[in-house]
Amino acid sequence: MSRQATGTAFVALLRRDFLLAYRRRAELLQPLVFLLVVVTLFPLGVGPSPALLANIAPGVIWIAALLATVLSLDSLFRSDFEDGTLEQMVLSGQSLALIALARTVAHWLVAGLPIVLLSPLLAMWMNLPDEGLLILIESLAIGTPVLSLIGAIGGALTVSLKRGGQLLSLLVFPLYVPLLILATSAVSAAVVDLPYTGQLGLMTAGLIASLTLAPFATAAALKLSLS
Amino acid sequence: MNPIYLFFHKTGSPPWFYKYSGKLIPWLWALFLALTIYGLYLGLFVAPADYQQGESVRIMYLHVPTAWMSMMIYGLMAIMGFIALVWRIRIMEVLVISSAPIGAAFTIIALITGSLWGRPTWGTYWVWDARLTSELVLLFLYFGVIALYNAFDEPRKAARAASLMSIVGAINLPIIYFSVEWWNTLHQGSSMGSDGPGIHPSMLLPLLLMATATKFYYGANLLTRARLCLLKQDHRKRWVQDLLSKESN
Amino acid sequence: MSHTPFILAAYLIGAVVLFWAAIAPVISKRSLLRQLKNRQARMEKSQ
Repeated sequence: MSRQATGTAFVALLRRDFLLAYRRRAELLQPLVFLLVVVTLFPLGVGPSPALLANIAPGVIWIAALLATVLSLDSLFRSDFEDGTLEQMVLSGQSLALIALARTVAHWLVAGLPIVLLSPLLAMWMNLPDEGLLILIESLAIGTPVLSLIGAIGGALTVSLKRGGQLLSLLVFPLYVPLLILATSAVSAAVVDLPYTGQLGLMTAGLIASLTLAPFATAAALKLSLS
Repeated sequence: MNPIYLFFHKTGSPPWFYKYSGKLIPWLWALFLALTIYGLYLGLFVAPADYQQGESVRIMYLHVPTAWMSMMIYGLMAIMGFIALVWRIRIMEVLVISSAPIGAAFTIIALITGSLWGRPTWGTYWVWDARLTSELVLLFLYFGVIALYNAFDEPRKAARAASLMSIVGAINLPIIYFSVEWWNTLHQGSSMGSDGPGIHPSMLLPLLLMATATKFYYGANLLTRARLCLLKQDHRKRWVQDLLSKESN
Repeated sequence: MSHTPFILAAYLIGAVVLFWAAIAPVISKRSLLRQLKNRQARMEKSQ
């Protein structure tokens, strides 16, 4: 397969995914609304004390981001699986890992990036001090692609199952634990003026690792689900 | 033909595996029982109580081996899963999925015994220390693999999915462990479960005996479950029919 | 505080879980064999 053809295929897939996403944009808003609702529930549940909210802000925002991402992951491959497009993609002879990567990138742009963009609003609600805001945005910018990449593996494994969505969350949450720990620690450290670059560095390393490895696992999972 | 190659080829055959593992199982149970009885005798009655922790240190003889097994079994599942996926060996698939419930059982015991050890020794049933937290996440990984396997209709496809998930989980397991350990050093004051200058030999022997005993438990239980799985999958095949008629005669 | 109840509880729970994990496949296998034998007997009778 020529390099040009692969690149063209990648772009074509991205374009297609955007078109499909645009057509069902109402559906895509649901996880984001869920994100906002979940964050809103915390002050309602634990009380509006500014100090308390500020304390738990990084964790709450990140956990809400995890939950919202998992919601949006279920439909990652499902509609293509159901109408046979996925099978065609597997048979097409294009590198399946590249196809998986294209789908994951599209997912992040449509589901993960909005979380990054919404984070200042969430930070305000949770009374996160200003020192933490930039790091929060950075941690989400680095972390949400990892959520998409690892989540795609789970999505591919469960796409052929009837109620794969519930199982998907059980599968990926343990895998998300290191990311959650590092990200919230980075934000908490930034708030009290402690060093945070180590955490961000490790997260970036995780991003690069998942970027190179996860598409292959996703491809294997897709082949498995279609077999 | 090369005898090693022949051996592996034979173990891949379900009826051969069924027959010979059946012969091995009683020996594995016998060794497990012998080691456990001796190990527990030494650990519960002969070995001294700990200087700092008192009698509750005796829980260590159950907690530590089961924690080791919980991690070892997951690692084995990943390795066997890799072999199963790459070489499509059905026996490997069966062994992977038969290992999962055993690993989960060890993890649950490790968590409960760890919790019971913590209460008299350090005053609390649960603390988010590195080891307990990682162990809890490991339990969720086990549940995930088991749930994934049960969600598929076709057993071989289910086993392959479970194998892939085990591999992904195993790669993440060290990352999870180190991240939790690092997170823990940020948050906790007292160090929990410090081993001190090294373990006294009178305590080391029962610990090693119990650790070895759990391996035999795993072997015996694994083969038992694997045989059951093969019977279920192959119940229409000739070798199972022959086995049934032989048994009823 | 006496440590004994904790030690007892730990080993008791450990024993119960390990015993149950060991017994479960044996019980399953017996019921499976019974089912298969019944099915085989029924098929032979109908032939």
